[in-house]
Amino acid sequence: MKWIRKCPVFFLLTVSGLLFSATGLAGIFTVYGEYGLQPVKQPFLVLMMEGIEKGVMPWEAWGGLSAAGSEVTAASAEPEEAGQNIEDIEADAAGAAGEEGAGEALSSPAAGTEYAAAEAGTAGNGAENVDSGAEPGASAGNPGTAGEEAAEEEEPVTYEFQEVTEDYFNDAVFIGDSRTVGLFEYGGLEERADFFAKISLTIYDVFTATVGKDEETGEKITVEDALAKKQYGKVYLMLGINELGTGNTEYFMEHYAEAVETIREMQPDAIIFVEGIMRVTGEKSENDPIFNNARINEKNAAIAALADNRDIFYIDVNEAVCDENGDLYSDYTIDDIHLKAKYYSLWKDFLLKHGIVKD
Amino acid sequence: MTVFTGMEFLFRFFPVFLAGYYVVPEKYRNEMLLLGSILFYAAGEPYFVLLLLAAVWLNYLFAWKVIHCRDKQRLKKRGKAWLIAAMAADVGLLAAFKMSGFFLGESMMPLGLSFYLFKMISFQADVYRGEIRELPSFRQTAAYFTMFPQLVSGPIMRYNEGALDAEKRDYSWDNAEKGLWYFAVGLGTKVLLADRLAILWKDISVIGYESISTPLAWLGAFAYSMELYFDFWGYSLMASGICVMLGMPFILNFDHPYASKGISEFYRRWHITLGTFFRDYVYFPLGGSRGGNGRTMRNLLAVWLLTGFWHGGSLNFILWGMALFLLIAVEKLWLGKVFRKFPLLGRGYVLLFIPITWVFFAITDLGQLTVYLGRMFPFAGGGVAVNPYDVVKNLELYWVYLLCGVVWCVPAVYRFLEKHRKNPVVAVLTAGVFWFSVYCLVSMESNPFAYLKF
Repeated sequence: MKWIRKCPVFFLLTVSGLLFSATGLAGIFTVYGEYGLQPVKQPFLVLMMEGIEKGVMPWEAWGGLSAAGSEVTAASAEPEEAGQNIEDIEADAAGAAGEEGAGEALSSPAAGTEYAAAEAGTAGNGAENVDSGAEPGASAGNPGTAGEEAAEEEEPVTYEFQEVTEDYFNDAVFIGDSRTVGLFEYGGLEERADFFAKISLTIYDVFTATVGKDEETGEKITVEDALAKKQYGKVYLMLGINELGTGNTEYFMEHYAEAVETIREMQPDAIIFVEGIMRVTGEKSENDPIFNNARINEKNAAIAALADNRDIFYIDVNEAVCDENGDLYSDYTIDDIHLKAKYYSLWKDFLLKHGIVKD
Repeated sequence: MTVFTGMEFLFRFFPVFLAGYYVVPEKYRNEMLLLGSILFYAAGEPYFVLLLLAAVWLNYLFAWKVIHCRDKQRLKKRGKAWLIAAMAADVGLLAAFKMSGFFLGESMMPLGLSFYLFKMISFQADVYRGEIRELPSFRQTAAYFTMFPQLVSGPIMRYNEGALDAEKRDYSWDNAEKGLWYFAVGLGTKVLLADRLAILWKDISVIGYESISTPLAWLGAFAYSMELYFDFWGYSLMASGICVMLGMPFILNFDHPYASKGISEFYRRWHITLGTFFRDYVYFPLGGSRGGNGRTMRNLLAVWLLTGFWHGGSLNFILWGMALFLLIAVEKLWLGKVFRKFPLLGRGYVLLFIPITWVFFAITDLGQLTVYLGRMFPFAGGGVAVNPYDVVKNLELYWVYLLCGVVWCVPAVYRFLEKHRKNPVVAVLTAGVFWFSVYCLVSMESNPFAYLKF
C-alpha cells in the first residue's frame, strides 16, 4: 500500500497495462481474430484498442473466452491466410465497414477475381476513360451505348447537355463528400443551391448520416429527411473516393444504384446528375494502392452506366481539372485530392456547361 | 522504433530495456545504456549507425589528445590545435550533411545528427576549458554521446549535467514514478494536442493560402505556434522523463515560453538546451555583451544566423533568424525598458509577434510565405475565392484543442499538476491521458482508412 501511494502512476499504468494485455490475449482467437497482430512489434493491448475503435468492447473478449472459441478460430483463419493483395485489404476493410457488407464481400470470392481483371483493363488506358466520360452527352442521340436496345423501340426523348446560367441551380441540391463540401464553401453556389455534404460521407451511409441542420428548427438532419421535405429540380451526387478502401466495385455499385433509385423515388421530377469521382494527382495515383486513378476510373465507368440520358445523366468534372493523362493537375491541389479553393470555380463552370433543360 | 510514440518503442523496446537496465549491477549500466542505444539507433539508421560510432570514437580520440596537452604548459598550443581539429571535424560533418540538401536535391541528414554532434562539440569545448577535469572512460563517454532518450532530438545535455557515472546515479522508485509521470504527460501533450492542431494547420494549406480569410490566417498562426510548442515540449518531456527513470537528472528544455514578458526571455525559455549551447559556445566566446552595443549586436547576429541555419538550409529559416535578431535587438536597445515597467505589454508583444515569426519558420516556400503574410496583413487587398466563414468552421471543429492548448500554456496549470502528481485524482487523470494517447495512436496505425477521410 505504501508503495502504491508512493508510485501511483507507475502502479496504475502497470496494472491497467497488464489488464489490457490480458484482454487482448483473451480475445486473440475470438473477437480479435482477424486483426493480424504482430506480437514482436505490438503489445497484446493493441488488440483491445483496435477492438474499441471498431466497436468491439473489451468485455466481449472475456465473454468469447467462455464460449467455444475453436469454431470461430477456424472461420477467422481464412481471411488471414489470404495474404496482402488489394482485394483482401478491401475485404477486410469491408468487414470493418458493416456486418452485412462483410458477409457479402467475403462470401463472393468470384467478385474479387472479376474485379481484378476489370482493374487490369482500365489501368492501362486511363486516357480512354477520359474520352468515354465525355461521350454520353455527345452520343446521347446515338443508339449503341448501354441499355439502349429497349429504348430504341419506344423512341424515348433523350436530352443533350447545354450551357445554362447560374439561376439553373436555384432548385438544385448537391450531395457528396469533402469535395462537395469544398464546392459549397468555395464554388460560389451556396446561395442558390442546397448542399448536403459532409467529410467522409459514403454511398453506404448517404441517407443515414447527419449532413446538415434544418434551417428552421436547427435540428440535425439526414439526406433522407432533406429529400423528403423539399422537391428539387436537379440532384447532383458525387460520392465514391472514401469507398475506395471498402468493398469492390460490384459491392459499391449495388449500393450506388440503390441510392440513385431511392433518390428517383423521392424526387420523381428531378434531373439526377451522377457525377464521376474526381481523380487524384498522378503522383498520388502511382504511389497509392488504394486511392489511385485506375480504381477511380473503374468506378466511374460503372457509375456512367447508370445514366439513361432521359432523367439520369452522367457528368465527369475530371474533364475540367485533369491533364492529358487523366490525372488531377498537381498545381490545382496541395494534398493531391482536394482542389485548392480558387479552382472550385472550374467545377462550377463545368456544371454550367452541362445543364439539361427539358421543355 | 526510433519514435517514442510508436507501439514498438512504448511496449517493446523501452520496457525490455528498462528491466534489463535495472537487472544488471549498477556498474554495468552504462554498458547496458550504450548497447540499448546502439540497437535503438540501428533500427532507424542501419547504415548511419556506423557514422555515429565513428564520430564517437573519433571524438574520444580528440578529447584524449586535448586533455593530454591541456595541463602541460609547453603543449598548450598543440592542445588548441587538437581542439580546432575536433571542432572542424564535427562542424564540417554537420555542414556537409546540411548542404547535401542543396546539392543532391534531397536532404541526407542522418537521424539526430545535429543533436549528437552538438553534444560532441560541447564535450570538446568543456574538456579544453577544464570543465571536464579528467577524461572519462570510453564507455561512459560513448553512453553520453549515444544515449537513446536524447539521440534523435535532444535535449542537448552537457556532460557535467548528466550523472554519467553509473554508480553515482539516483536509482529509486521515486525517480521511476517521477520519470513516468513526465513521460505520460509528454506523450499526451504530443498526441492529444500537437497532432490534433497539426491537422488544422494542414487543412489551411489544403484550402490554399491565397483563399484563407484574414482571421483564419491568424488562427492558423496561433494554432501552429501551439502545435510546434506541444510537439517539441511533449517530446522533450518524454526524453527527460526517460532520463529520470534511468536515474539521471531532469533536463529542462522548455519552461513555459509563452508566458514570457519579452522575446529575449521567450528564447531563454524555449528549447533551452539549444539556446544555452549557442550562448556558451558562440555568444560568450565572441565576447557576449561586454564590448559595447556594436559588438553585442554583431554577436547576436552571429548567433541568430547560426540558429536559423541550424533549423534548416532554406532561406525562410535565415529570414526567421533575422527577424528574431531584429526583434531581440530592438528589445535590448529600447523596448526592454518599457516591458520591465509594463510587463503586461511585454506579454502581449510576445503573443503577437512570436506567432508571426513562426509563420516564417513554418512555410519553406518563399512565394507561399509571402502569400500567407499577405493574408495576415491584407493591406494590399488580395485573396482569391475567400470564404469569410472559414474561421467559424475551423473554430467549430477545433475549439476543444485550441482551448485545451491555451490552458496548457499557462505555467500554473502544469505546476499544479506536477506538484500534486501523487494525488489519486491526478494520477488517474495521468494514466487516462496515457491510455487515451495510446488508443489514438493505435487506431491511427491499425485503421488508416478511419483517418483518410475525404
